[in-house]
Amino acid sequence: MPRYKIFMFFFLASEAFFFLALIIAYVYYSHPGGDLSATAQYLDFKRSALYTFFLLASSLTIWLVGRVSGNKKKFFRLFWISMTVILGLVFLFGQGSEYARLMQTDITVSKDVFGSAFFTLTGFHGLHVIIGLVVLSIFLLMTLSGRFRSVEKTVLESASLYWHFVDVVWLVVFSVVYIGAIL
Amino acid sequence: MQYFWDKIERFFSALFQAASPQAEDINHLFYQFTIVATLIVLIVAGGVIYSAIRYRAKKNPEEPAQTHGNLKLEITWTVIPFLLLVFFFYLTVKAMKEINQPYAGKKPDIVIIAHQWWWDIRYPGKKIITANELHIPVNQKLLMEIESADVIHSWWVPELGRKTDAVPGRQNYSWIVADKAGVYKGKCSEYCGTQHAWMLIRVVAQTEEEFEKWAGQQQKAAVTPTDSVARAGARLFQHKACASCHAIRGTAAISHMAPDLTHLASRKTILSGMLPLTDANLRHWLQKPQKIKPDANMPDFMLSPQEMNALTKYLEELQ
Amino acid sequence: MRLSASIPEPNVPLPNILRNNGLLYWISSVDHKQIGIMYLCSSLIFFVLGFSEALLMRIQLAQPGMTLLSPELYNQIFTMHGTTMIFLVLTPMLIGFSTYLLPLMIGANEMAFPRLNAFSFWIFLFGGILLYFSFLAGGAPNVGWFSYAPLSEKNYSFSPGVDYWAISILLMGIGTIGAALNFVTTTLTMRVAGMSLTRVPLFVWMIFVNSFLILAAFPVLNAGLVMILIDRLLHAHFFTTASGGSALMWQHMFWVFGHPEVYILALPAFAIASEVIPVFSRKPIFGYEFIAGSTVAITLLSFGVWAHHMFAVGLGTTFNAFFAATSMLIAIPTGIKIFNWLATMWRGSILFSTAMLFAVAFLIEFTIGGLSGVGFALVPVDWRLTDSYFVVAHIHYVFIGATLICGFAGVYYWYPKITGRILSEKLGKWHFWLFIFGFNGTFFVFHFLGLLGMPRRVFTYPDLPYFGSLNLFSTFWSVVLILSFMVFIYNLFYSLKQGKPAGRNPWNAWSLEWLTNSPPDLKSFTEVPVVQSRRPLRDIRDSVQSGISALNETGVEHA
Repeated sequence: MPRYKIFMFFFLASEAFFFLALIIAYVYYSHPGGDLSATAQYLDFKRSALYTFFLLASSLTIWLVGRVSGNKKKFFRLFWISMTVILGLVFLFGQGSEYARLMQTDITVSKDVFGSAFFTLTGFHGLHVIIGLVVLSIFLLMTLSGRFRSVEKTVLESASLYWHFVDVVWLVVFSVVYIGAIL
Repeated sequence: MQYFWDKIERFFSALFQAASPQAEDINHLFYQFTIVATLIVLIVAGGVIYSAIRYRAKKNPEEPAQTHGNLKLEITWTVIPFLLLVFFFYLTVKAMKEINQPYAGKKPDIVIIAHQWWWDIRYPGKKIITANELHIPVNQKLLMEIESADVIHSWWVPELGRKTDAVPGRQNYSWIVADKAGVYKGKCSEYCGTQHAWMLIRVVAQTEEEFEKWAGQQQKAAVTPTDSVARAGARLFQHKACASCHAIRGTAAISHMAPDLTHLASRKTILSGMLPLTDANLRHWLQKPQKIKPDANMPDFMLSPQEMNALTKYLEELQ
Repeated sequence: MRLSASIPEPNVPLPNILRNNGLLYWISSVDHKQIGIMYLCSSLIFFVLGFSEALLMRIQLAQPGMTLLSPELYNQIFTMHGTTMIFLVLTPMLIGFSTYLLPLMIGANEMAFPRLNAFSFWIFLFGGILLYFSFLAGGAPNVGWFSYAPLSEKNYSFSPGVDYWAISILLMGIGTIGAALNFVTTTLTMRVAGMSLTRVPLFVWMIFVNSFLILAAFPVLNAGLVMILIDRLLHAHFFTTASGGSALMWQHMFWVFGHPEVYILALPAFAIASEVIPVFSRKPIFGYEFIAGSTVAITLLSFGVWAHHMFAVGLGTTFNAFFAATSMLIAIPTGIKIFNWLATMWRGSILFSTAMLFAVAFLIEFTIGGLSGVGFALVPVDWRLTDSYFVVAHIHYVFIGATLICGFAGVYYWYPKITGRILSEKLGKWHFWLFIFGFNGTFFVFHFLGLLGMPRRVFTYPDLPYFGSLNLFSTFWSVVLILSFMVFIYNLFYSLKQGKPAGRNPWNAWSLEWLTNSPPDLKSFTEVPVVQSRRPLRDIRDSVQSGISALNETGVEHA
């Protein structure tokens, strides 16, 4: 297995432990006294599900980049990378608007333990999305310039692994937080 | 020669002072373990030192046989330690059950609330509130409820058994029993801030009669001072902000943010065991608390000499 | 534009401290040998800071009621002492050895990711400097190296010390994780031909396994650290019990990291011992498979023992019993190692160089430390002795008795390779004996102080029987201990210029690092033989002696 793949695999595994710790903390703090916190009712499941769809779509688009190889297809690669970035931004915008809505009803990280745990867990996921978008944008520029042909595949595969990871983490977080809130 | 043996004996008995069956249980487990551990250390150290001498290069200049391993040895030194540990696990669980007897449903006899840096001690059944000095009758097993008003502390009186953490947000329960009368010194044993070192505990185990006498005295409201200076002190206490933190039963001072002073003069030490209760120490403390126990919650009040006199006189009357 | 750097020609010597090849050359280096040296030097500087803090504490505690240090200052110093020694001394020392030696031992000329390697070092150094900056920025952290909540919350610790502590450790943790990723990838992909994972030196194996411990444990610490920072800086409620938080959650999160952390510090020490003891006994390591296998067992088990730090918290008999069982179990693989090292010495031909003296002392000191640890697994004993000086004795017998002692052994063993000169044996023996007396004199009495009832982390103590005399005894020997460190540091500098020149392989060792020059050229290997056993240099020696060339004619070369 090439070095960058081994690296990405173990790096993502260690990030998984980080998220696992935050998820366990969330599960504990969202159930003070054993029952789901009252604050959880303010979460908007439907809206979040919609934006989840966009994030999942971005995983599809980045996969498509890999399917389009060859010098003549550079435009299509650029297209799919751009789509990934755009879909990622839509997701961020969506979660951002969820945050804004919650904060307007005075639900913040300092309101109660639920708020602390919710914003921390989803916030760190969002941070990882932002980092991913930065990496993808750099990759977009690299592809555009055409002077990095020799490393494009490596960068794409590494970025894809990271991006799929971010997606999977979101699926887990979404299930635990949003689906958990309506059960 | 005998002199040295005496000294050594006295030292070792000091290490293992026990005045409660709990402490005895712990000591026994510790002795048993130490014996096995010492044997293991001697075997390893012996092996190392013997090899170092017997197989040193000077006496063994030839290249030795290049042994790579021995399965039988590996199994031996895996299985034997495992069996030893199974034995100690059994002893451990047995001792845990002995010390942690169930208490479900029983109301605690003593409630300890740990603060930075003093102990609030209450006897809910007897309606007694005091601080830092716990009195118990010998040979009676009492249930303590231990909690904290701020950060994590830990109740630790080695001669009477186990320590129990005082964790804010939860109540921990622990049995306490002394089988001999005496004074047992303990300490806070979880770092809790600047004055962690001076959060001492004083447990006085007494005969039944002496304990009842003490409890009866503690249940009474504070003495009303007869002396004019002390009466001035009593008034100052209410007006000078002392009452906003310290309680004196029978007066308007009912706050329990700081140690209950109703029977201060019946205690042997002040400041959680930091200083003996003497006139001079009381005065030093009242004059400049932040110099004596920096960071303690009592601010410097800048009392005039007359005020100091009055307050000290009053406090010393609070038997 | 090229994204990869090419390695300079082999006839350029490694930038040498003696030859003053320019600060910029060092700062911009991505060579694993230079980075390894920088880790080791940083570790040394922080070591001086750490033991100075210790000396101040010992002087303050020499007698009851001393006022050399105010309680506020003392509490900052004991916190910084613990944090420094663990994160800024022992960790970089072990990472430094690994960074320097891992590629050499597998016949590689570089780490898998040289720039990540450099990044890991510099972010670690920045974290360390940031931590010490806190002294100037309002106060160093003063809540102990494991910073229990809610004491570490803003309302109980208003100085920014805890913030500096959390951020520094986050930074250093990122560096450590980067180093671990490098170790794993390098070990998996850059071994020379013939070196299967069952033929790597035990040092390599243990660093490899240790890296998994790092990758799994540090993220949990990071989660806890971000939570305390969010509590303190954004007024969240994770650990503030008054507003629904949980003080215990911090303890769980910290110790899920904290216990593996102590094994992260122990396994590389075991790795060093596994290299030194066989070479100086002139026998192969006894039970290679068992030492390797028990390392994996320790790694897995170490995630199941954390709550033995919480036996006094009141979590119930079943919970406590489970962790007592796992904590006792983990003693077994550790014991297996000790017996195997002892068996390596048995019937050997033992040469007592200073490195070997330290390795042998490790066997005894660590056994004491490990057994006092098993004592704590006996829950009722823990109920008496936890958070007392008995624990302080235990941790120093394992941290110093294993990690530091093996660190010394490693320095005496590999200094010739790194610098080209051998450390003075005479000074080494002085270092060793002063150390043994100083170390045991300082710390053995702590067992007694714990039994007598002296809690840890106290800036002074009441004048109870034996407290003053035992503390004074300890302080006296701590001065001897520090003297031994000074002899060691002097030896490091003295031998740079005056040490006997080492050849390639002054100890007649068998692993591949001894094939390179001393010090190695920038490109360590131009040719590496195909490896046919666990002791490649011994095979070369044997086959040269028997007249057959073991060097593969294709001359395997690695970039």
